[in-house]
Amino acid sequence: MITKENINTYIEKIPPSSEILNETIALLRIGDLVKAAKVAQSDLALKSYLKNIVNKPIYGFKNEVSDVGQIFGILGVSLAQQSVYNYMISLLNPKKWVLFKLNSTLFHDLQANLSKKWETILKHLGYSDANIYAAIALLPASIIVTEALFAQKKEDVTMLRSAKALDYNTILKRLCGMGLFDICEQIANKWEMHPQIAQIIQAASGVKPSEDEESNNLGKWMHLLLFYELSQPEFISAGLNDFVDFQPEYISDIYEDFASLMEIA
Amino acid sequence: MKAVVKDGIAVFSPQGFLDANSSNAFISLEDIEAATNIKADMILVSLKKVVFFNRNGLDIFVKLFSKIRKKNQAVVGFCDYDRKKYEAIKKFFHDELNFSLFKTLEIAHLFSNSFKNGGKNVLLYSGDKSQRSAMAIELHDSGHNPIVTQSFEEFNAKKANKNAYDYTVDSTFLGQMGQKVAARVTGNAIIYTVSSFLDAEISENFNIEYHNNSLNVGFRLFIFDVYKVVSMNIHALNFFSKLASSAAEYNATVCFVGMKFDKTPLAFKETMEDAGILFFAQMDDILQDKALLKELGASSASNVKNRRVLNKETVSELPKFIDATVVTLEMMTNAKAIKVGASVHDLSIEDKKGKIASSIGYYGDMDGMVVLVFPEPIAKKACELLIGESTNNTELILDTLAELVNIVGGRIKTLLADEAISVNITLPRTYQDVDSLMEVVANRKGVQVDLSFNGDQFLFFLTR
Repeated sequence: MITKENINTYIEKIPPSSEILNETIALLRIGDLVKAAKVAQSDLALKSYLKNIVNKPIYGFKNEVSDVGQIFGILGVSLAQQSVYNYMISLLNPKKWVLFKLNSTLFHDLQANLSKKWETILKHLGYSDANIYAAIALLPASIIVTEALFAQKKEDVTMLRSAKALDYNTILKRLCGMGLFDICEQIANKWEMHPQIAQIIQAASGVKPSEDEESNNLGKWMHLLLFYELSQPEFISAGLNDFVDFQPEYISDIYEDFASLMEIA
Repeated sequence: MKAVVKDGIAVFSPQGFLDANSSNAFISLEDIEAATNIKADMILVSLKKVVFFNRNGLDIFVKLFSKIRKKNQAVVGFCDYDRKKYEAIKKFFHDELNFSLFKTLEIAHLFSNSFKNGGKNVLLYSGDKSQRSAMAIELHDSGHNPIVTQSFEEFNAKKANKNAYDYTVDSTFLGQMGQKVAARVTGNAIIYTVSSFLDAEISENFNIEYHNNSLNVGFRLFIFDVYKVVSMNIHALNFFSKLASSAAEYNATVCFVGMKFDKTPLAFKETMEDAGILFFAQMDDILQDKALLKELGASSASNVKNRRVLNKETVSELPKFIDATVVTLEMMTNAKAIKVGASVHDLSIEDKKGKIASSIGYYGDMDGMVVLVFPEPIAKKACELLIGESTNNTELILDTLAELVNIVGGRIKTLLADEAISVNITLPRTYQDVDSLMEVVANRKGVQVDLSFNGDQFLFFLTR
């Protein structure tokens, strides 16, 4: 159905990040928001993406924000870097979603929701590290990878899942010995993201806890946040609720804290 | 969201957070339609991967339960929860709890008509006396040994002795139990379970089409588990007499197990015996007696009456049958299939050693049977995706092979539906060796297609 060669071909096809993006990220890493905005301005697609994302209701701005300098200024270093990474992930979006009932607007909504809530979580936990803020950007890549690998096998996989409740991550692991989050890690490596980002993402899979206590704890919060979002009606209808397995035991020690933070009655 | 059906139990498995908004999204109109048409003894919603729910979230499912019960009388409810969730559900629905609650899916299986192995020691506790009794009766009727405890303390104390019990049941509630005639396959026998009062409704609740097609695909022994039958009237008597007479045309046998005649006229028994129905006190009197099983035909399932030839319609749809099989096997093994040869004749297997088989029948606009014969290594490989690991456990491999052939059957059904040909599929059967398969398909002409997966030979046979 899906072979390791398919996965390798897919990873090879992922374009390296452009010079503009590399430079923007590098400038953001040293905290030079003004220069980073100037460089980012020349990538019209990035500019349009940033404008679109930060003007979503969840960001809560009263007036439309359209200038990249202004956007970066409002977001600050950590969130600006996170948004650029979100843009890079969105470049992997398929032209047409087949497996999941998604479109670019809905996907961007998911990115925005995850990013904003991740920010709330990190503030609550007292984190300010830009790489940890950026980690959430890689999480939706797991959805894009699933779509890319399984879209042509939709019928097969539907038939298989009618006989046994297997999530896409398990199917892929059993077929190729490699899971969705391993592929996300490879994307992170290809784009030279900070190593801790891949560590947190692996832990966020819920099935590969990190030996690093901090990354593991952040992975738990991210795992629960993912399923909080995937329980929203629009994402359930898109077929995302069970694309990977939720692990309630893994997050049991942080659930109460999460529920109170998200004001879940 | 679609349910996964296994061993007569259909399970929906939502994940995350269930509230009014999300539950509505989980169950679309199409899902409701599909769920009400599922032929399962039980339809359950697993709360294993639900971390939060409220009354509104569960209400959507409870309404679905009510629709399902109206249509097919299956047992409906929730499963896979902890004590806290159990108490919450009981609090939400205390006066209207007409669905069932099973602490785990395993416990639900104990109460299902399709549970394969009776005789389990089950330690039992419920705070509600009537529930304790109801569960004990259900378990006893299913051939288990319920050990009822009177208090939670007693339950916990006894539970500490882990080796004494096969299962422990608490935080479980039996709502309305099933009324339809459930069927399960054990070896070459089909067991139907019926209960309470048998009257004219039996002909509506019994799936005669399924029964006839089981006869067509070679089943010869039909056992009615009637332990829970209180009495029957003349309409039910006529129904069973006709059923036995039609079975006789196929050289098949109908048996009743556990029938009591306290409230049913003894003359009925004579009438049924005249029609060829055999009576046994215990299920084990048949299932554990290999000589008797052989005599009754459960180990020699050749189809006497219905040896039909392949027709043009079947041959013209042959590519679809092969395609469904090949695609499924390719998906399961991640290997490419090569067609080695195809011919029309009786099934011929040169080297019978180390091979296992499975079959599935289909009926409706077309009818017939697909047989798949695997060398054991291919069967193991094909099952690895579903099992998750390599195994030598033959029973597990055969069980999984049944799931696999069920996927093939489902795919055939879909492919034929694309051409407006409507078929249903029977329960799958598995054969531990080629000899037991040959007893079913002996002297039947069919299309045999030899396929090769990575050099291993695999056989597909389509017959009627």
